[in-house]
Amino acid sequence: MSSNSKQRAGATYELERGYRRMIVPAIIAVAIFAIVPLAGMLALSFSDYHLIRGSNGEFGLRNFIKLVNDKRLVNSIYVMSVLSLFGVAAQVIIGTAVAVGLHKIVGRWRLGRVLFLVPYAVPHVAVALIWLSLFTPTLSPINAFFDLFGITVPSFLTSQNGAMFAIIVADTWTNFPFTMLIILAALQGISPDLDEAAALDGASRVKTFIFITLPLLLPALLMVTLFRFIDSLKHFPMIFVMTKGGPGRSTQATNFYAYVQTFQNSNVAYGAAIAVLLFLMAALISFYVAKLNQRISS
Amino acid sequence: MKRLLATAVAATLAFGVPALTTAADEEINVVMFGMPYTNGLQKLAGDFEAETGIKANIDVIGQDVFENRITLSFTGATGDIDVVHTPVIQVQRWVAANWLKPITAEVDAMAVKSDIMAGPLDAYVINGEQWAVPYMAATGLMTYRKDILEEAGVDVPDTWEDMLSVAAKIHNDETAAIAMRAVPGQGFNMFIFPMVMRAYGGKFFEDYTGGDLTPAINSPETLEALNVYMKLLNEYGPQGAGNFNFAEVNAAAQNGQIAFALEGTGVVAQIVDPAKSKFADKTGIALPPAGPAGRSPAIAVHGLGIPASAKNPELSARFIEWAVSTETMTKIALSESFSNFTTGPVAQNPEVIEKYSKVHPDFLTMQADALNLAIGHYRPLLPDWPALGQAIGENINAALNGLVSPEEALEGAEQDMKDILGM
Amino acid sequence: MGSIELTAVQKSFGDVEVIRPLNLDIEDGEFVVFVGPSGCGKSTLLRLIAGLEDTTAGSISIDGQDATDLPPGKRGLAMVFQSYALYPHMTVRKNIAFPMRMAKIPRQEQAKRIAAAADVLNLTDYLDRRPGQLSGGQRQRVAIGRAIVREPSAFLFDEPLSNLDAALRVGMRLEISELHKRLQTTMIYVTHDQVEAMTMADKIVVLNEGVIEQVGSPLELYRSPRNLFVASFIGSPMMNIIEGEMADSHQASAIGVRPEHLSLSTDSGLWQGKVGVAEHLGSDTFFHVQVEGLPKPLTVRAPGDVELQYQDTVFVTPEKTNLHRFDSSGLRID
Repeated sequence: MSSNSKQRAGATYELERGYRRMIVPAIIAVAIFAIVPLAGMLALSFSDYHLIRGSNGEFGLRNFIKLVNDKRLVNSIYVMSVLSLFGVAAQVIIGTAVAVGLHKIVGRWRLGRVLFLVPYAVPHVAVALIWLSLFTPTLSPINAFFDLFGITVPSFLTSQNGAMFAIIVADTWTNFPFTMLIILAALQGISPDLDEAAALDGASRVKTFIFITLPLLLPALLMVTLFRFIDSLKHFPMIFVMTKGGPGRSTQATNFYAYVQTFQNSNVAYGAAIAVLLFLMAALISFYVAKLNQRISS
Repeated sequence: MKRLLATAVAATLAFGVPALTTAADEEINVVMFGMPYTNGLQKLAGDFEAETGIKANIDVIGQDVFENRITLSFTGATGDIDVVHTPVIQVQRWVAANWLKPITAEVDAMAVKSDIMAGPLDAYVINGEQWAVPYMAATGLMTYRKDILEEAGVDVPDTWEDMLSVAAKIHNDETAAIAMRAVPGQGFNMFIFPMVMRAYGGKFFEDYTGGDLTPAINSPETLEALNVYMKLLNEYGPQGAGNFNFAEVNAAAQNGQIAFALEGTGVVAQIVDPAKSKFADKTGIALPPAGPAGRSPAIAVHGLGIPASAKNPELSARFIEWAVSTETMTKIALSESFSNFTTGPVAQNPEVIEKYSKVHPDFLTMQADALNLAIGHYRPLLPDWPALGQAIGENINAALNGLVSPEEALEGAEQDMKDILGM
Repeated sequence: MGSIELTAVQKSFGDVEVIRPLNLDIEDGEFVVFVGPSGCGKSTLLRLIAGLEDTTAGSISIDGQDATDLPPGKRGLAMVFQSYALYPHMTVRKNIAFPMRMAKIPRQEQAKRIAAAADVLNLTDYLDRRPGQLSGGQRQRVAIGRAIVREPSAFLFDEPLSNLDAALRVGMRLEISELHKRLQTTMIYVTHDQVEAMTMADKIVVLNEGVIEQVGSPLELYRSPRNLFVASFIGSPMMNIIEGEMADSHQASAIGVRPEHLSLSTDSGLWQGKVGVAEHLGSDTFFHVQVEGLPKPLTVRAPGDVELQYQDTVFVTPEKTNLHRFDSSGLRID
């Protein structure tokens, strides 16, 4: 029985060390799957590598200088911002509304929740195809229906705002269940006593929601908004299937533009520079929201 | 340095894509994107194994996924693809990037070589070497509704000028006159629009055949063609025509929502197929309209190549030989909607003739006529074409949807071409 | 004002009848305790009064006005929850102010009432803290504060002390009683603890399986329990219930006698038995005496200084005047 007191720090120490060991694989996985590609992307963004023309071995900031003067990039950031801001706002509002509605439903109708998860389970390409046909006047049952009354529904996909609207609708349809799920879970964490206390305190349902439920949902709302926003920066399948970036270049969000530069124009280095920019934006937003979250929860 | 960068590309891409398995000895991996032929070939993988004892894993994936997958595999030289779907429109780029293995000797040794149509085969010759073997050559054709033309008392338009006047006569709210691909992309609007452009004498470069690759798309001829294309789609097209791709054109034709469609033969075969469209028996086929500079049907050749990093090129070559053989091609021509095969003797097979005559009596002959008229560099055969086609397509689509004027669009297209080519 | 009248009130959840039709009058200023074992329907009854549950049948009137279909906020009642139900994102001040904010009471008046309530409840130093930073007792006071400032016609308490430890519970019990004395406002208090009921109530309502077993003052219930259920539920330790031959001799199917109404002797008495476990409380000692012919030992109270050994032979004699008799349906025979 040696009492090697330097090594021993009590029973809980052993336990803690065990937990620490458990996260080692996760750290290794993150290192390999996140940091290695990121480093590769960063290296490329400073290079002059072109898939066809190769590289002259020059390293420098020229891609980033080019970025600053790139009008197409500016347009792409505008498109991305519109799609993300309106899309995420719609997803959070609709998701929260549905969650609040579903939360109140008890009994066997509870199973109805599953129905709202369906859009989330459909692959994005399939979602995009569904909405492409719904927004194509010759294919859309919506247009056919209004035609019966002599009303011509305008064509959405042939103007920038219309096409962005269509993409937002498709994106919202498939992603609101995610916000709904998170908010539903958050709602379940709020004691029903609070609703009852508020009712006795004379608050109407609307006031209870505004003064009690909503503030208590705030951390969850913030998290879900952050997740959806960062994810939404990666807009691709909807655009690729529904508009191909059109009309013209008007729905080429930044991620799509990076694709055009990398795969169509073979300009791998420039594409990587755009990707680095996107990454920085996402990191910045994460950082800011994380700080905000800390302030709210304290 | 290049090697290092290639590794960086591979590292960047590798982790976004599921891990790939490496081929065992008598096993090859074939990667293609979805088309009637490739779908048919996938179903016949068992035949190949029965015949040769080699197991062929045929992967048929979406075109966008395909781009990612091969870029990863080829830049990283992972050697996990043994046979790759090689569109002529990409082959120049791939050769420039050292992605493909020259297979002149292998093709020369193939018994089937003499049966393969010379035009499509030659489309894969770059710097005197053969880089892939074609299996299909799609071209462009026009379909028209016989009943509508009859009722209006007009003939099938032979020129774009005729088309404009016929369209004006027959266009109405129920049935629009014409639909064509409009979404931006070298394989979308830039597969169809050059049929109008070349008919009016428009061209991509000053002198492509003579080697002067100065962009020349901003010409009065192209402008005239663009105006015709825009007028047809905006005034005589169905609602939303500005965002149509082949799927929407196909559906509009099959649903009787348009009188004319200008499409690739793969789609035309579906428009006139009685099994697929209830208007098939009222639909006729014609060559694309001509213009002051003649008639220029589209052409798109697809084939099979061997990646530079392929580990066992002999097995790959054996697969290609089997895949383009008269026997395999005939099977696919009969099982799928696949009429634009490039192995000649398939066309003499009575069952094949019977099948496609049933689809439409004029189909095979019209297709042959169009192919005869098509020029190989309908879309320029350049490594940079995918980038050029994308950029031009975006400008054309922007004009079509009123974002810019046609003049601005062509000016923009020419500037984009110069930027891409580093001029 | 704060009189509440329940008429033929009934409540079912699906097929399960939780409250059988019952009538109950609560007078203005009364401290009424609903007591009963868990599942007896006491909380449901309180929630029916609060308006948190809809009645299946019957009517509720508050201050003479029909309130059966009034929403909770319009009944002029305030409730203190077992979980306290404080709003975790609000400071103590805002928690207390919330009902006044909803009632659109002017800010100055709000501040006045908050200050007064905080003073009474010893919360002045904690007004800017959040509930998460308070102890259980402090949270309880905040909940009470939030109830007081509304100046309701009645307070409803739903097992408010059950989350507190024993020492705090006694203190809070006193505070609530004092509050009642001072405010003279009707209070309805739900508990499963008969000690709380006895010590606090003006009027106790004993509930069992959705039925009111008896209504009365603590002493009425203690002295003349209407039936066996009330007899054994009220009083601590429990009343001894004896059935069989010994009951027959009193012309009853069961007799009951409280531990404090049994006298203990070492040499003579009515029933002979042997001493079992003794519980010494200091002032009193409770002996469990196994009387011959009885299935269960009797609990007997003796002064604290009585010393008996385990298995000593003793005699137990009930006080004649404090013998309760019950018939075969469990009802009291007077």
